[in-house]
Amino acid sequence: MTYFFQIIISGVVVGSIYALAALGLVLIYKSSRVANFAHGQIIASGAFIAFFLTVDKGVPIFFSFIISMIVTFFLAMSVERIFLRRLIGEPIISVIMVTIGLASIIDGLIYFTKFGTENYSFPAFLPQEPVSLWGVSISWTQLVGLIITSLLIGGFSWFFKKSTVGISMRAVSDDQFGSMSVGISVPRVFGLAWATAGLSAAAAGCIIGNITGLNFETLHAFGIVVFPVVILGGLDSILGAVIGGIIMGLIQQFAAGYLDGNFGLSGTGDVMPYLVLLIILLFKPHGLFGIHEIERV
Amino acid sequence: MKSKKAVLFNVLLVLVLMVAFTASVQAGGKVYKLGMSLAITGPTSDAGNPMSKGVEDWFKFVNDTKLLGDDTIECVIRDDQYENDATKRNFEEYLDEGIVFYLNYSTGSTLALKKDFEDAKVPVVPASYHEGNLIDSTQIFLPVATYSENIVGLAEYIVANHKEGGVPKVAFFIHPSAFGRGPLEDTQKAVAAGLKIEIVETVEHGKDLDSTAMLTRLQSKGVQYVLCHSVQSPVATLLKDSQRLGMTAKSFGEKGKLTFVGAHYTGGNDLIALAGDAAEGFLWACSYNMTSENNEGAKKQLDLAKKYGRDDKAANSHNYATGILMAQIPTEAIKRVKEAKMEVNPANLYKILNEMNGAKEYKSFVAAGPLSYSPKDHIGVDVQNIYQAQGGQFKAIKSVSSEYMKTIRAGK
Amino acid sequence: MSANSWLATGNFHTTYKHEQNTFYTSLDRSVFTFFLILLFAWPIFYPLSNKYMLVTDNILIAIVAVMGLNLVTGFAGLISIGHAAFVGIGAYTVASFCRTLGADHVMVTHFWPVLIIFSGLFGAFFGALVGLPALRLKHLYLAIATLSFQMIFQWVINFMSFFNQGQTISVGRAFWLTGEIGRNQHYVFWYYIILTIVVLLGFGVRNLMKTRYGRCLIAVRDNDRAADAMGMNPGLTKVYAFALAGFFAGVAGALHAYLYRGVGFDSFTLKISVSYLAMAIVGGLGTLNGSFWGPVAIKLLDLQVEHLSEVAKQYLPSAMNVATALKPFTFGLVIVLFLMFEPRGIANWWRITKSYTKLWPFRY
Repeated sequence: MTYFFQIIISGVVVGSIYALAALGLVLIYKSSRVANFAHGQIIASGAFIAFFLTVDKGVPIFFSFIISMIVTFFLAMSVERIFLRRLIGEPIISVIMVTIGLASIIDGLIYFTKFGTENYSFPAFLPQEPVSLWGVSISWTQLVGLIITSLLIGGFSWFFKKSTVGISMRAVSDDQFGSMSVGISVPRVFGLAWATAGLSAAAAGCIIGNITGLNFETLHAFGIVVFPVVILGGLDSILGAVIGGIIMGLIQQFAAGYLDGNFGLSGTGDVMPYLVLLIILLFKPHGLFGIHEIERV
Repeated sequence: MKSKKAVLFNVLLVLVLMVAFTASVQAGGKVYKLGMSLAITGPTSDAGNPMSKGVEDWFKFVNDTKLLGDDTIECVIRDDQYENDATKRNFEEYLDEGIVFYLNYSTGSTLALKKDFEDAKVPVVPASYHEGNLIDSTQIFLPVATYSENIVGLAEYIVANHKEGGVPKVAFFIHPSAFGRGPLEDTQKAVAAGLKIEIVETVEHGKDLDSTAMLTRLQSKGVQYVLCHSVQSPVATLLKDSQRLGMTAKSFGEKGKLTFVGAHYTGGNDLIALAGDAAEGFLWACSYNMTSENNEGAKKQLDLAKKYGRDDKAANSHNYATGILMAQIPTEAIKRVKEAKMEVNPANLYKILNEMNGAKEYKSFVAAGPLSYSPKDHIGVDVQNIYQAQGGQFKAIKSVSSEYMKTIRAGK
Repeated sequence: MSANSWLATGNFHTTYKHEQNTFYTSLDRSVFTFFLILLFAWPIFYPLSNKYMLVTDNILIAIVAVMGLNLVTGFAGLISIGHAAFVGIGAYTVASFCRTLGADHVMVTHFWPVLIIFSGLFGAFFGALVGLPALRLKHLYLAIATLSFQMIFQWVINFMSFFNQGQTISVGRAFWLTGEIGRNQHYVFWYYIILTIVVLLGFGVRNLMKTRYGRCLIAVRDNDRAADAMGMNPGLTKVYAFALAGFFAGVAGALHAYLYRGVGFDSFTLKISVSYLAMAIVGGLGTLNGSFWGPVAIKLLDLQVEHLSEVAKQYLPSAMNVATALKPFTFGLVIVLFLMFEPRGIANWWRITKSYTKLWPFRY
């Protein structure tokens, strides 16, 4: 029974990290209807910037996490300004391809540095002993990840519900022309959406980097791994990202915990999310919490 | 006007002379063309990148110190980003250019190009030590012991050093590909042939962020040893999880805990870089000499890296050593072909490589033992060191070679 | 009909039937025929080295695949991020025959045209299957559904021992009337075969666009509800667009299997899917000639960057990263620049050039 609870807890913790990584995608899609395929690369850059500051520049690790989040905030904002501003109103395929191209460019830029091909790990800064409750254990890294995720997601939910900027962002996502006519600067909102996404990506990068170690291939793969998460939850719902993330985390852990090695199967943790995704999409074409678009001729 | 023309003429004359002069200098020695294709960027580039540096530096060293007299080696190194199609393109180009020896990289591309190697009759040294490379192939020469020899050798080591009675229970933690599964099958064959271990479970990893469930399951099944065959990053995540759960054995084979052991590509300085303290006690089989050994060979490797301005990380990497060995094999073969007063061509290199045994075996400073080939044995260094991570460094604790692999291979 | 059958400085169509003609003037027809003859004849007069012949063949295979992708993504507007998986299905169809019958079985070596067509049909079947979610899904959700298909394909190939767990399954050498195709003729032989297929399929697409089935695709792309109101069946059209794309991809996959004499999993990964999309975009989405320009441009760019980094390496001795990092960097940059400054791709330049020469010396 402990095994079962352990899987549930692990699934929830892993799922919340997925949710954090997925948050950036949702933030961008919510306001500008762009799916960002370069998200994994931004996650990786966030982790590398934090590592560079901590190890090469000797900045205390918590500050370097925060600085890294600030840097990616502006980095993502400038990416939007330079590459995506021109594409407002272009067909969706163009926008998808721009982010794919962007991913390739960032790949190239990271290969210019030492991080492209070498492995590193963050210096240990949290207690090594796990937190243990009734035989179920969670590592400090995961716990801190869980806390940061809840803080960030709570913060963003509040931001979208209550703050003026948040409300204007929602307005833009609903109707760009309508919001322009009431005096909202649409380009500014887009920039802000990318910037906040960059910030959350850096946070995700730092946490994932702490868990897996810093390997570029491993880190940027998370940009694709989180796609089923956001699609499952619905592309424009923060709550959806959280629930989608946790569902995916649970599916993966249960698949790895009960399917693997039992029916001659193996490695199902990687493929199950996509299978479940396809099945759910057949019944809910806009994900679990996505807004159903009304189309007119 | 006339003087101007004369000046022009003189300048031209000087230029012609210079060209002729440089050309004659180049004509003084022969140039042997070699080719290499590997992943300098893209997947597994953490291994491929230092490897390319090792190859490059050794050939520079050969040319700079005139190891082959006036003759020089020209080796083109291309990045294929771990794509077989690109590897094939590179190989075809090298063939067009008339290479005498080819250096390859991944398991996938080696298997994919196996037929072409046979057709082209060019000796090949790959960086993949997959057992399957040798099936139906004559041209492929593996530099060191195969992954299967690593894993079975480690399993034999476990049997020999298992303290309590009973059959040691092991689990496999492998890469979800043929690369990962190959050694598992060979171990199963070894068990069938009488190796006394019990394979309790096989785990094929994905992009896991948490292995708690898997580790608790292994422990509850009484597993004591985890044999890893993958790349460093997933193994590092596993080790970290095990450490925080307090499951990692403090000493080899500690009762009720897990001892982690792994094959060539799981270990090395990269594992320590990724896993930190969690790597302590990890046992690793590798046929290369680590620089942490502080012996003669390590010194030579570090000197070479220093000579060509490599950073510490590359200099101490066993992948850098891999690159050096991959370059040393053709260098040595060319040298011996020249000494035998034969023409340096693929056929003669092939012949010389097959004769590289007995008194003629080659001792490389980066390898853990002597390198020998014969028409029946295309595995170079049969000896492997078992290293243990101690205080952030891999230290050699034993030199072994797998006994069961010989019987399995003979049975094929 | 213009008075002069060789030159025409504008549209002189008097009947719908005339508008349907592939070539409007005799000049068009002659130039095209000459170009076609040139394509078939040049290897005889100017033999390339094996490497460049391989590159040429590879480009042609990419053209077949991208023509299919252009049908589903360009003409029908359904984004597919799993096209390499369809190509993979074609290749693995050939591989399955090799696995069950043996790599040198008569079926594989002699009846390869049958096998290529069969692979195409099998690809079409899977295309239709994957197209089913398109009945309900739209835009990005559909794109991710195709991405899921790509991931599931990769897992299945990697997992099943029938497919050799993703490691290369070898394919035997093909036979022609003259006997076995040896190593020296291999690339030239396949050049002719693939070129013939490209020409046939190219005409196929060109003519498809003149039928109601072709126009259906475009109508569904532009507005599927309006198309529905006009009496078309958008659902069926979408499924059949995917099936068509699957057919092209399947043929490309089978050709890939024969050309490389083996099928390995990593020729059909997500990365390759993305590069097919990039080729379609750079060439020009929703145009036939874009399917030719794109693969040529992307593959040659790749080759040129490789040469460039070779040169750069000589000046930057110990900084190898700098040279090799150029590849992904330029690939991304080209895509982004095209989308920013020429979203209609190279096909648009072709269109401009063509209309300029047609109207010269007048501006319009």
